[in-house]
Amino acid sequence: MINYLTVLFSISVVYLAVTERYRVYSRLLAIQGIILFGITFAELTDLKWYTLLFVASETLIFKALVVPYMLNRIILRTNVFKVHTNALSGFYSLILIILSLLASIFMANTLKNPQINTVFFTIAFFTLFAGLIIIVTHKLIISHLIGFLVLENSSFIFSMAVGNEMPMLINIGILLDIFVGVLILGFFGMKLKPNINELSLLKD
Amino acid sequence: MYLNSFFIFSVLLSVLILLFRNKSVTKFIIITYGLIHLAFSIHSWTNLGKTDLGYFTYDHTALTFLTLLSVIVAAVIWHGLIYVAEDDARKYNIYHISLIALVTSISGAYLSNNLVALWIFAEATTLAVAGLIYHDRTVSSLEATWKYIFLSSVGVAIAFIGILFISMTMKGSGFVDLSFASISAASPNANPLYLKIAFLFIFVGFGTKMEIFPMHTVGIDANSVAPSPIGALISTGLVNMGFVTLFRVYGSLSDSVISAWMNRILIIVGLLSLLTAAGYMLKAKHLKRMLAYSTLENMGLVSIALGIGGRSHYAAILLLIMHSLIKSGLFLQMNQLYRALGTVKLDESGRYLKIFPAGAVVLIVGSICVMALPPSGLFYTELIIFRELVRGGNWFVIITSAFLLCCIIYAMTVRIMHVVFSPARSESTNITKEKISPWETLSQFLFFAVVIILCFYQPPYLKDVINQIVENLF
Repeated sequence: MINYLTVLFSISVVYLAVTERYRVYSRLLAIQGIILFGITFAELTDLKWYTLLFVASETLIFKALVVPYMLNRIILRTNVFKVHTNALSGFYSLILIILSLLASIFMANTLKNPQINTVFFTIAFFTLFAGLIIIVTHKLIISHLIGFLVLENSSFIFSMAVGNEMPMLINIGILLDIFVGVLILGFFGMKLKPNINELSLLKD
Repeated sequence: MYLNSFFIFSVLLSVLILLFRNKSVTKFIIITYGLIHLAFSIHSWTNLGKTDLGYFTYDHTALTFLTLLSVIVAAVIWHGLIYVAEDDARKYNIYHISLIALVTSISGAYLSNNLVALWIFAEATTLAVAGLIYHDRTVSSLEATWKYIFLSSVGVAIAFIGILFISMTMKGSGFVDLSFASISAASPNANPLYLKIAFLFIFVGFGTKMEIFPMHTVGIDANSVAPSPIGALISTGLVNMGFVTLFRVYGSLSDSVISAWMNRILIIVGLLSLLTAAGYMLKAKHLKRMLAYSTLENMGLVSIALGIGGRSHYAAILLLIMHSLIKSGLFLQMNQLYRALGTVKLDESGRYLKIFPAGAVVLIVGSICVMALPPSGLFYTELIIFRELVRGGNWFVIITSAFLLCCIIYAMTVRIMHVVFSPARSESTNITKEKISPWETLSQFLFFAVVIILCFYQPPYLKDVINQIVENLF
C-alpha cells in the first residue's frame, strides 16, 4: 500500500514540475495532501491514536484544503492562470526533473540504512529537488510560493522516516505548515501582487 | 520558573499594548519590557548551569549573548521611540509588539538546550522581523519583507531537513530527544555521511539568520530597508542567534569523525563570505547596505576563526561581542544621518561633519572600530585569528583574507570620508532635514568606548566567561 502511495506521490511531483497552469498546481497540491494523509496512516503505526489523528488531520485540513483554497483565491484575484512566458518550458523542466529523480535514487542508495526506508528517502529527495527547480526556473512570485510548498511537502516526507520514534518532529512539521499559512494569508493579504515578476528595487 | 515568568510577562505586555492602543501607554510598556529583559538577564547569571522548563539551560553562551542583547535592546528601544514618534498609534503599536516578539524569541533561542526548541524560536523571529521590516509601508519595504519571509522560510525548511537527518542518525542509539547533550553523546557512533548532510543543511538553513554566505542576501535587503534601530537589532541580536545555533550544532558534532571536515567547510564559507563582502562593498552606493556587507565580512571572520580552532574560538566570541556593540552603534547612527541629510545614499550624502559634528565623529570612530584598526578591540581579535592561521601554516587563507580585508578597509574608508568631508555629488530628493541633539549619540559613544577599552584591557571575569564558553564547546 505504502509503495503505491509513494509512487503516486512521485508522479504528482513530476506533473507539478512540468505543468504551466496554476489551477493544476493547486489541484496537485491538494492531491499531494491527500496522498500524504494516506502515507501518514500507513507508516506511523506506532503513534498514539490522538497524535496520529492530529498529524493526519493536518495533512487533510492544511495541505489538501486550506492551502489549495488560498492559492485558488490568489489566482482568481490576480487573474494569472499560466506561468510566465520566460519560465523554463515543459520539455526542459521534464528533463531536469528526470535528472533530479536519478540523482535522488543515487543519493538514497548512497545513504542506504537498514533503519530508514529507502523509497521514502528517494521520494523526499526528489520532492526537495523538484521544489528547488520550481523556485529557480520560474519567474512569478506565486510560482516561488508553490516551489516552497513542494519543498515543505518534502520535509514532511523526510519526517516520516523518524515519525514513530520522534512524533514531536512531525508536529514541528505541522508548525511549518501553519507558518506557511500565515505567510500566504498575511503577506498576500497585504499588498504584494503575486503576479509581478520583478522585485528589483533593492540591489547594489 | 523565571523564564516562564519572562515569557508570560512578554505576552502580557504585548496584550496590554493591544488593549490600550495608546502611544503613551505603549511607550511606558516598552520601557518596562526593556527593564524586565535587563533584570532577567542579570538575574539569570545566578542560575548559571541550571535548566528551566526542560528545554532551556542557563549556560555561559546563552547568558553572555542574552546580556549583550539586553544592552543593545535598551539602545534600540530608546532610538526606536525617536524613530516612530511621529507614526500613528496603529503603526506605533505594531512596531512595539513585533519588537517584544522578536527580542523574546531571540532570548528563547539563546537559552534553548534543544535543537528543535531552538528551531521553533528561530522560526518565530522570522515572523516578528517581517512586521518590523515592513514598518515604513513603502514599496522597498514590501520587497524586502517578501524576500526576507521567503528566503527565511526556505532556510528554516532546509534547516528542518538537517534536523531530521540528525534525528535519523540517532535512531536506534537510545536517545529520543534532540537536546544538544544527546546529539553530542550520540554523534561519535553516528553515520558520518548523515552527519555531514545534516551539518550542511543546518549551516545553510540557519545561515539566513547569521547572514553568512550563501544565504546572506536575506539580511542585506532587510538591513537596508528596516528602520535603523531594527537594523541594529537584526545585525547583532539576530545574527548572534544564528551564530549560537551553528556554534551549538558544531559543538555537538565536534566529537564525531566529521570534525575536521566541518572545520574545512567553515573556513571555505568564511573565505567566500569575505570575498562576497569585499566585492559588494567596493561598489556599495547605499550606506546601510555597506554596513550589512560589513556584517557579512565579520561573520566570515567568525566562521574562519571557528574553523581554525585553538585560541581562535576565544577570538570568535570576543569578536561577536564587540561587533554587536559597534554595528548596533553604526546602525543607530544611520537614522540620525538620514534625519540630518535626508538620505542614506552615498551620492546624495556629504559634509556631514559640518551639518552634524557629533554624528560625523560617531561615523568615523565607528568605522575605525568596525574595520578593526587600532585602537579597536576587533584589532585584537583579528590579531589572534591571524596568529593562529600563521601557527597552522594556512598561508592561502592568510593571504586571501588579508587581501580581502584590505579591499574592505579601502571601500569603507573612501565612502565614510566622502560622507563626512566631501560635498554631496547629487542633491537629495528628500528635503525634510532635522536638527538633532548631540545627546542622541550618547549610546553610540558608550558602545564604541567599551570596544576601545576591550582592545587594551579585558576584565578577568569576561575572559573567564569566554574561556568557559570555549571549554563547554567540546
